[in-house]
Amino acid sequence: MMNSTRLKFSLLALISIVVLLTASGTGSVAIPMEDSLRIFAHQAFGTVLPEGIDPIVVSIFWKIRLPRALAAFVEGGALAVSGAVMQSLLRNPLASSYTMGVSSGASLGAALMILTGFSIPFAGAFSLPLAGFVFGLATVFLAIAFSHQLDRSMQNNTIILVGMVISLFVNALLTLLTSLAGEHLQQLIFWQMGSFSATDWQELGVMTTVTLTGILLLMRYVQEMDIMTFGEEQALSAGVELKKVKFILMAAAALMTGTAVSFTGIIGFVDLIAPHAVRKLFGSSHRIVLPASALLGGALMTLADLTSRTILSPAELPVGAVTALIGAPFFAYIYFGKRKKGA
Amino acid sequence: MLQMAHVTAGYNGKNVLHDISFDLPRGKSLSILGPNGCGKTTLIRAIAALIESEGDILLDGKDIRAMNRREIASKIAVMTQISSIYFPYTVYETVMLGRYMYTRSSFFGSPTKKDREIVERCLKTTDISDLRDKMIDTLSGGQLQRVLLARTLAQEPQLILLDEPTNHLDIRHQLELLDYLKEWSHTDHHAVIGVFHDINLAMRLSENMLFLTDGCIRGMGDAEKLIDSRFLQEVYGMDILGYMLDSYGYWKNFKTSCA
Repeated sequence: MMNSTRLKFSLLALISIVVLLTASGTGSVAIPMEDSLRIFAHQAFGTVLPEGIDPIVVSIFWKIRLPRALAAFVEGGALAVSGAVMQSLLRNPLASSYTMGVSSGASLGAALMILTGFSIPFAGAFSLPLAGFVFGLATVFLAIAFSHQLDRSMQNNTIILVGMVISLFVNALLTLLTSLAGEHLQQLIFWQMGSFSATDWQELGVMTTVTLTGILLLMRYVQEMDIMTFGEEQALSAGVELKKVKFILMAAAALMTGTAVSFTGIIGFVDLIAPHAVRKLFGSSHRIVLPASALLGGALMTLADLTSRTILSPAELPVGAVTALIGAPFFAYIYFGKRKKGA
Repeated sequence: MLQMAHVTAGYNGKNVLHDISFDLPRGKSLSILGPNGCGKTTLIRAIAALIESEGDILLDGKDIRAMNRREIASKIAVMTQISSIYFPYTVYETVMLGRYMYTRSSFFGSPTKKDREIVERCLKTTDISDLRDKMIDTLSGGQLQRVLLARTLAQEPQLILLDEPTNHLDIRHQLELLDYLKEWSHTDHHAVIGVFHDINLAMRLSENMLFLTDGCIRGMGDAEKLIDSRFLQEVYGMDILGYMLDSYGYWKNFKTSCA
């Protein structure tokens, strides 16, 4: 890693910590950053808590705000990394788990689990993310197979359009399910809006475990992702076992997206914006794109969640609406910017 | 070095190449020519095992389809054009990707000292050392082609396959590239196979030529013995030699009038 890259990466890591502490300290009860740090040290490492910090404030910070901020951070990171992987796989800066329908597929799987109350044997707390993963993966394979049938050269526009068509179809199934949900209707609607409000430490633990495992697995394939951006034939002739690598990358991306979406509903566009911005800042090498996307995606999602719960306080907006408000114009900017350039 | 026997290959169950057989010894190059759609690129893809094929394709006696991708990549490099760059890398990063099959087994694919030395040498050979930190989407077509050559050389292959390698290059760089590859094939007993549209450029790489029409070998051998006016007429459906002599006459007069 070059010195300037190291510096930028350290700065991004620092910004992420500040964003996390700010999000944990902001709300109806304001907690100054130094108090946040003290409470964190007290809870995590057993240091002495200074007098004057109300136990209620400690509870608000440790039981509500911090898990919520961390959940937003982990989900943002997971989505951004899976977005970076999809973009590399499909050689398309507009590809992401959201635009490819993985998020919709995953949410359909999770919705089915919520509705039926079914739990995968031996999977325990991992049942919901596992269902999200299986359905997300099935959706992306469907989208790619369908694109391949329509257009063997797998042009950008075909992939994006097919992804959107499948996404719309799966969303329609989801709406159908929701309308038949009966007693689960409210629960499903809230969940689909995307929110971190109900996240607890156990869910956070599952999300973090899956996300970190996914990132570590993907870091093993950074070179392959670099080569694949030059095209499949180039990758094959450089020595990449393409079929195997593509499957592993898709599975890892679907696993991370599936897990994130199954806990908090569909939250789009972070997976598009973060990797794009990271490539502008750090270049295209996936050795840095993946970890930097995780940090930037995490920070963006935490900020989006903070905005969603503070901008019209005490009312809370769905975080998915906040990210879409920023993300949709951004999508248009990339798409039309590319078309202008003639790409 | 390369032995092809009764090879058929194509796409989606439809054969484009039919019963292709030839040998290419070490230290020799081969230029493949023929009209559009005759199967030149398909032949390159079949040799590199990028598409499925039937028949024997042996490299030093071993069927390439019995090798894994890394083994093939350590012996055969394919130099094609890049149609569009979606995610730009620096020149150095791009050339280092040529070392993939050697660095794959190291921790997170970190390059070794040897990898870095080889990349430096390839940058120097192709005269792009001063472009090392430039992003490849800012380069001219000629510069990009040299980056791709450097990446191909970084693979340290024994056989280089070229698919219309000189398309984006000006004449000087076209000739330099072909002269370099010809020299490369002679030294250390390497081999180069190139696909061309221009017979003069093909001749610059090798006088050992293979002409394809409709997926079959129309003729193969030394240009001097193989090519005559009727042969080219049959392959291309036009009087190629007449066209070249016309051009020659024009340039000859042009030169005289300028002198």
